[in-house]
Amino acid sequence: MTDLSKLYKQTILEHNRNPRNYGRPDHWTHHSEGLNAICGDLVHVYLTIEGDVISAINYDGESCAISMASASMMTEFIKGRAVDDALSKFELFCQLMAKGSDIQRIDALEDVNNLITVKKFPSRIKSATLCWHAMAAAIKGQPTATTE
Amino acid sequence: MLNKQFHRDQFPGLHQEVNGKPLVYLDNAATAQRPQMVLDAINDYYINHNANIHRGVHSLSESATDLYENARKSLAKLLNAPSEKDLIFVRGCTEAVNLVAQTFVRSRVSKGDEILISHLEHHSNIVPWQLLCEQTGAVLKVIPMNDAGELCVDQLDDLLTEKTKFMSVVHVSNALGTINPVKEVVTKAHAKGVPVMLDGAQATPHLKVDVQDLDCDFYTVSGHKMYGPTGSGVLFGKAEHLNAMPPYHGGGEMISKVTFESTVYNAVPAKFEAGTPNIAGGIGLGAAAEFMMSIGMENIEQRDAELRVYAEQALAKVPGLRMLGTAKHKSPVFSFNIEGIHAHDIGTIIDHHGVAVRTGHHCTMPIFEYFGVAGSCRASFAFYNTEQDVDILVESLLKAIEMFK
Ligand SMILES: Cc1ncc(COP(=O)(O)O)c(C=O)c1O
Repeated sequence: MTDLSKLYKQTILEHNRNPRNYGRPDHWTHHSEGLNAICGDLVHVYLTIEGDVISAINYDGESCAISMASASMMTEFIKGRAVDDALSKFELFCQLMAKGSDIQRIDALEDVNNLITVKKFPSRIKSATLCWHAMAAAIKGQPTATTE
Repeated sequence: MLNKQFHRDQFPGLHQEVNGKPLVYLDNAATAQRPQMVLDAINDYYINHNANIHRGVHSLSESATDLYENARKSLAKLLNAPSEKDLIFVRGCTEAVNLVAQTFVRSRVSKGDEILISHLEHHSNIVPWQLLCEQTGAVLKVIPMNDAGELCVDQLDDLLTEKTKFMSVVHVSNALGTINPVKEVVTKAHAKGVPVMLDGAQATPHLKVDVQDLDCDFYTVSGHKMYGPTGSGVLFGKAEHLNAMPPYHGGGEMISKVTFESTVYNAVPAKFEAGTPNIAGGIGLGAAAEFMMSIGMENIEQRDAELRVYAEQALAKVPGLRMLGTAKHKSPVFSFNIEGIHAHDIGTIIDHHGVAVRTGHHCTMPIFEYFGVAGSCRASFAFYNTEQDVDILVESLLKAIEMFK
């Protein structure tokens, strides 16, 4: 299977067909909008933070399959984590996806590692990282985030 | 004469593999490929004539100056400008629009005056006017478009009022391919005494442009869209305007005398060409103009029409494809979306099959807002593309659809 079909078939399309935690919830405590002006990708991330725990995380928006699948995976992975833990995982994800880096896997990121094939399509890395930037921005109280 | 295979072979960039597949280059509206003749002209300048222009008595400077000024003549011929002195070398259309906004229009508008553009403009023909409006209190008005992506010319008479001080309209839309009836637009504006600039970025690669016949006050040309170098372009202006306009940039070359008290400006076009210009770029652009004239713009127009009809029919068979922009008069530019697949995913998947298209809003966000979508996939053709390119595009789209099933 080519890298491309691997990327789409195994990882991305599964989440596109069965998105986890998709849709704007009735209540949230923190929100940020991720906008990738050049591509036109738009992702909203909604968090409910109770104490220092992210008890709920949802997303919606209008963007490509990579961006939507990444958001779906992220919400599954982040839900229930402490805020500090979520932010440190964000840092790890940025390291994993950094353009030109050799890192192929970071164990602490568990299933999120499945996105690694995106790195073979450098022009699409920003699609995968947008929701993570929005999540971190929401925690920090910033209304918008970009990957620029 | 257009010799399809021969002229295609003049473009070395077309003959390469991308992702292990022969390149199918369908991103010509973003930037075209360059023919060998342009590359040779650039090399020839750097290797055999490398010197600064207009300022040396030595032989190399002389021959470099000749090459640069001959390029200006070639462009004047391509556009049928009355004189090459009516052409200013610029970095591209973006710079041309900014130049006109700041040196021609700015002094003519005050608070409440109106500048008219159209819904089909590229951001480079929107933002400079918004800046000008902020500086002067003028108001930006927009000629609407219809569902086919055509300009609503019938509304022009109402939109042109005594407050309208300038109009700037795109000749051919980069996002939809619409060819606007610019001659009619100019006539209507002139009837109300309003000067007009036409954005020719996407027109010069496809159409025979005659600035005297159009009677436009300004016309902008982007070098890299018409097979010339990046960072090159020209602005045509009517001599009466150019002579009356103040300089845009101050510096060397645009002066005839400088003391600390005052400066006497050089004549047009030098007045607008401060500093050492993009000499190789100008020379390369002149070569591009010569190349196009050697083929003949009528022949290019005819080949464009063949490709457009072929592609239109082929793309119509792709299931779930929604075409944006269905103007009666259009150049071979196809903006589309496919149901259930985001444009970026299409772009990535077909790139894997060697097909280069652009995805996104193509610097024309208002157009996509009109259609209620964030962007599109855009396949834009040049005369050197082939029917086979269309077939490969369609095949790769079908593969993308298959993958998303
Ligand atoms: C219609 C149109 N106008 C203006 C421009 C800007 O031209 P340039 O790249 O020469 O600044 C473009 C380029 O994308 C265009 O397509």
